Amino acid sequence: MNSTIELLAPRYDIAWYPWAVQYFFMIAISYASLWLAAPALVFGKKAWLPTARLALIASVSTALVAPVALLADLHQPLRFWHFYAYANTHSWMSIGSVVLPLYLLSVLGLAWLAWRPALQEQRNAPGLSGLLAKWLSFGNGATPKALVAVVGLAALVISSSIMLYTGAELAIVKARPLWNTVWLPPMLVATGFIAAAGLVLVLNRVSGLGSQAAIRQMLYVLLAACAAAGLIATSWFLDGVNAQVGSVAAALESVRHSPSWRSTALWGGITGIALFAAVIVLLTRSPQRQPTLFAWAWLLGLVAIHMGWMFRWVVLMDVQHVARNSAGFHHYGIPAGSSGILGIVGTFGLWLAAILLIELFMPWRQAQQGGTSLDAQASSDAIAATNDSLNTKQGAPNHG
Amino acid sequence: MDAIRRSLLGQLARLSAGAALVPLSSLAHAGINQQPARREGDPTKRYGMLIDLRQCIGCQACTVSCHIENAAPLGQFRTTVSQYEVQHQETGELATFMLPRLCNHCENPPCVPVCPVEATYQQQDGIVVVDSDRCVGCAYCVNACPYDARFINERTQTADKCTFCAHRLEAGLLPACVESCVGGARIIGDMRDPDSQISRMMREHRDALMVLQPEKNTIPQVFYLGMDERFTTRPTAEPVALEVLDPHGQEMGYEFHH
Repeated sequence: MNSTIELLAPRYDIAWYPWAVQYFFMIAISYASLWLAAPALVFGKKAWLPTARLALIASVSTALVAPVALLADLHQPLRFWHFYAYANTHSWMSIGSVVLPLYLLSVLGLAWLAWRPALQEQRNAPGLSGLLAKWLSFGNGATPKALVAVVGLAALVISSSIMLYTGAELAIVKARPLWNTVWLPPMLVATGFIAAAGLVLVLNRVSGLGSQAAIRQMLYVLLAACAAAGLIATSWFLDGVNAQVGSVAAALESVRHSPSWRSTALWGGITGIALFAAVIVLLTRSPQRQPTLFAWAWLLGLVAIHMGWMFRWVVLMDVQHVARNSAGFHHYGIPAGSSGILGIVGTFGLWLAAILLIELFMPWRQAQQGGTSLDAQASSDAIAATNDSLNTKQGAPNHG
Repeated sequence: MDAIRRSLLGQLARLSAGAALVPLSSLAHAGINQQPARREGDPTKRYGMLIDLRQCIGCQACTVSCHIENAAPLGQFRTTVSQYEVQHQETGELATFMLPRLCNHCENPPCVPVCPVEATYQQQDGIVVVDSDRCVGCAYCVNACPYDARFINERTQTADKCTFCAHRLEAGLLPACVESCVGGARIIGDMRDPDSQISRMMREHRDALMVLQPEKNTIPQVFYLGMDERFTTRPTAEPVALEVLDPHGQEMGYEFHH
């Protein structure tokens, strides 16, 4: 046996910056919340309408920002047109460059159809929102429910391609053993649903919509997504625990030799289990106590968003620091500039701007599966009349 | 690394070196993540490199000459020589092991099919190059290369890598690293020409040749003679120096551990 010391090796920088985390995070929230909007908007389940309204703005706002983050991760962003001029069908990234604009269009199309009845109603509103509603509502005709369902279905199909390509893009990279596993794409989807359900919970709180039904539905989604994530993680582990090489072996080696990987693994595991347990606690309380407890569900939403983001940070950033050819670990401090903290903050800022613009000008609270402006009026009256809202008890601000 | 795995990897290393001599035309089937058709370059040639580690003294002349020839930014390298101090645990005897690293111009290069714009491609002579006018700088290839042979050039903001100095080969010159190697450790040539020095040496040392990370199925075309199979994968070594970073992540210096 010999002992070896590495005297001289070059320093290898990371190639994908935190922009990539932001893209994977935003796009995952977008496709997952699209599926959360689907029961009401595509399949006509009225009970899911409050969830669908929240999920739709989550999906639209993140779909608008995600491509910006992706573009920023290119070192030559102005050459983005090369993706279309020199498409390479052998590359998952190239496939993604075709799917992504289609996805954005389908989500915007669905949102427009779902908001159109309310836009028609809003045409006489004063100021800019009335003007925009006039332009955007395109006439008085009713929006066929079937059209909303068809566009929604198309969006769901395209969103599945997004799930597939974002996962496969990473999973095919043999050079990074931690990515090179079939369990990574489903895990990205599961954590995407965790984050999306979390965001709907938070939006339900800050928008003042305060729908109890939405909270209950999102808690069930969280329960299912956490269970799925746990199953996937367990399968991944059992699948590779006896292998000498591969994803699990690389993970075990990282955990064994790096205190920071140990604490990351511990933090991820504990947060996931705690979230799962808290959701079970909330769902199993007596119906009398639930409204009081559900008022705090948005905190679980924040934890869920954190889970989704952290998983992507670990997968995309931390894995890039696992040395492939040199000894030890690469050290990485997040730079302050646009390839680091500024990029992360900037993306979230852009998302905030997007969602505030939607809040200002779009009647997203009256989104529905097609129909006419009269239906929109009726549905907003119905919402106001139900006891579904937390507001009656909480007095939270309502901008509706 | 246990003994069984080590010997398995060693055998794989030898096997892959052998497999590389068989032409792999069957790779051309189109499909996601499969190799696109090769273009440009001389189809009658297949360039490869043989590095005779017995001749390498770790002087880094190759590193420096490549750096100057190809105008790489400071701190970024198309080729470099990793150096290890190996101590025999029983006798305490010390030896230095040199491992020149560069692009392996693989027969199955994982960096090529991932490129979304086909900016990086393999020439018909086997050399993997980057069209820096087309490259969008997505850095997918940098992540896809198991050998860390690629980087994003700070100045051009596009992918950069060793090209076997294709521009020099075209002009009938040797690559800068080969030209400057004091021990004559680097031998480049056309492996399809049975009389070339590399072909002769490969015939002579066929059983002793090894490649890096053979288990990745990249079929590298840089062959090492006098290689220790423990170094064909990431060596189980301790780093002598750790970077010390300031709170902003900027490098302040190094901390030595030995």
